[in-house]
Amino acid sequence: MKISTTEYTANKAYDELISKNLLPRDIAKPLLDYFASMDEDELAARMQAVDSAILAMGITFTIYSDAGNIDRAWPFDIVPRIISSKEWDSVQEGLKQRLTAMNMFINDLYNDQNIVKDGVFPIEVLSGSKNFLKQCIGITPPFGAWAHICGTDLVRDDSGTMYVLEDNLRIPSGVSYMLENRQIMKRVFPELFKITNIKPIDNYSAMLYNTLAALSPRKNKSPVIVVLTPGIYNSAYFEHSYLAEQMSANLAEGSDLVVDDKDIVYIKTITGLVRVDVIYRRVDDEFIDPEVFNPESVLGVKGLMRAWRKGNVAIANAPGAGVADDKVVYTYVPQIIKYYLDEEPILQNVPSYLCMYEDQREYVLNNLDKLVVKPANESGGYGMMIGPRATKKEREEFAELIRNNPRNYMAQPTLNISTSPTLINGELVPRHLDLRPFVLQSKELQVTMGGLTRVAMRKGSLVVNSSQGGGSKDTWIVEGDH
Amino acid sequence: MMMLARDAENFYWVARYLERAENTARLIIKITDTLLDMPTDASVGWTTLLEIIGVGHLYNKYYETATENDIMHFLIADDRNPSSIFACIKYARENSRTLRELLPEELWERVNGLYLYIAKNIEDTSNKRRKKYIFLQEVIYQRQAIIGLIFGAMERNLPYHFMKMGRNLERADMTTRIMDVNYAISLPEDHPLYEVAKEMLWASILKSLSGYQTYRRLKHFHVNMPDVVDFLFNEEHFPRSILHCIGELENCLIDMPNNKNVLKTVRLAQKTLAKKDEQRMSEEKLHEHIDLSQQFIGDINNAITEQYFKIK
Repeated sequence: MKISTTEYTANKAYDELISKNLLPRDIAKPLLDYFASMDEDELAARMQAVDSAILAMGITFTIYSDAGNIDRAWPFDIVPRIISSKEWDSVQEGLKQRLTAMNMFINDLYNDQNIVKDGVFPIEVLSGSKNFLKQCIGITPPFGAWAHICGTDLVRDDSGTMYVLEDNLRIPSGVSYMLENRQIMKRVFPELFKITNIKPIDNYSAMLYNTLAALSPRKNKSPVIVVLTPGIYNSAYFEHSYLAEQMSANLAEGSDLVVDDKDIVYIKTITGLVRVDVIYRRVDDEFIDPEVFNPESVLGVKGLMRAWRKGNVAIANAPGAGVADDKVVYTYVPQIIKYYLDEEPILQNVPSYLCMYEDQREYVLNNLDKLVVKPANESGGYGMMIGPRATKKEREEFAELIRNNPRNYMAQPTLNISTSPTLINGELVPRHLDLRPFVLQSKELQVTMGGLTRVAMRKGSLVVNSSQGGGSKDTWIVEGDH
Repeated sequence: MMMLARDAENFYWVARYLERAENTARLIIKITDTLLDMPTDASVGWTTLLEIIGVGHLYNKYYETATENDIMHFLIADDRNPSSIFACIKYARENSRTLRELLPEELWERVNGLYLYIAKNIEDTSNKRRKKYIFLQEVIYQRQAIIGLIFGAMERNLPYHFMKMGRNLERADMTTRIMDVNYAISLPEDHPLYEVAKEMLWASILKSLSGYQTYRRLKHFHVNMPDVVDFLFNEEHFPRSILHCIGELENCLIDMPNNKNVLKTVRLAQKTLAKKDEQRMSEEKLHEHIDLSQQFIGDINNAITEQYFKIK
């Protein structure tokens, strides 16, 4: 397969594997040489093998639409994205620093609120937060950790600098695709693992298990851990099932659990009720306990919050952790790091404008054609507007939305995020991508080796979300400098 | 790891649905053969198939005519019919999806593969006989591969037992239903072809249960109602006989926790059904005995459900 010179000459973004003079970067040379040596028939056979592996493994992603839910095979690109171990070391340090501070921040908000009293974090941001749950006030979960599993999205701009785009602290998904992508590559391109020294990622399930087990309230017993899923119609069900299997945990739905009048959580087994210690929940806060939150919810467990508040069960991520998963709070992370750790942030935020402040709002409203506008609380790429790509009518609609609810919006300059060679119609073409590493925190603090690389398969598109037609790649951390 | 009540129920039903899909496929193939050979004045019809499977009432709700094509569509492809091959495989796949983390990896891939095959090839299976035949054979082969995998790769643990119980109960259920086809096809006793037609019919009942060869080996070459009935109820060496299936289920139960109530129901069924006197039974009495068997099968299903699936 060949590099498309037309598309690469026209590419203005930083490319992860190919330099400006259209040569492979050092770190990508063995990979690209290998692909270059492969003839069309061989490549076609491998592509076929990839497709059948994905279909057979049943790696799917559910898309919600008016026409009913469609179970789609996971779109996968065979060309891996490569990051040097030297660069990754520093990204890892940055993520650890960031998540340490954010967990301290969440714990502070639900307890003394020193950061507010000291004037570093404005009370008006807190009071406007939909995700601040008063039911969590006064609680300090084990190790002070609230966001036990975090997926932080990173992007690189045209200068080559890595930025944090957002932190997903509620129920981030994607890690199973990271693991399965590596499985596919190993099945279909085993030779590659000889010619390059790729760092392994398959200890994730053990990391996750240890993170969860450390939270168990019953210390002298092997903990009963369950993964709580909304069920098979959830878009990430595949992942819930996958992780439960990898950890040998039970995969439960809300109706499988019950809380008794002593506030103990039990799971219904064929021999009766068994006490549960740790719940890795993949159900949103709003639905986890109909007694406290949405009374209509059938996904949750009645009385779960009582049990959690008493410390009889651990919930990961803790209810209320989403208070820090808010695009307005995001803009304060550099100050948060400084406040709690007295350190300079290692990873940079994308410069942002908060519509709740009049001067910044005016700037946003006057520059809608240059900015990306995001609602504070949505995820999955829903409800955002990419100014330069939007029509005049869409921009006017967004101006109206911002004026009506300024706390709910923030804006960032449209970053020309980096590309990486992606195989489309037999040619390597530049496609934009991001990276979601996962950070685990309870007794220990750990970061995955790389993460999930998501790629916008359409030419020029900047939207990588799988719900919006994005795909993914295997992500390699290899020895060397970038 | 402990076994969730919901998972146990899903294992049980995955096995039942897969078994039902294969049984329906076999039934359609064999009964089609037989019906085509029946004397033209015998009051037979494709609706017989609906009665055997027990979906006649449901069929009448959705269809105004009862042509071969309509009925085939209803039994193969219509997902408003929860016993259609398509619906069974769809449910089996959905239930296996909720069990993925508990199944041998390859098993889910196979069940998913069978579903994908059906979804892709189901068109025209109800109106083109040749396509239908190839399709039904493929469903049978693929389901057999799944059985092989379960037998060869699954740990002999609770999931295995729940699947085995579901499979055997469904199998016993189908055996009783197929025997009743005799009752659904009526031919005047003084008809010149009466004996021939009846023999053909009982042979096809044996064939649709893959039991023709075993019957000939263990009984004799001649096919007659009392011997076939005895064979299908009591022959412990034939894997689709009612007592064999219930015996398999009993063996699973013996290894399971809290089995007292269910075992009691199973043993009562064994005792009542094993009476040898159906050899001299009239057709009318056989029909009643079959009804009784169906009741016991229902009771066993309820006992399992109450004991293991409905935890409060």
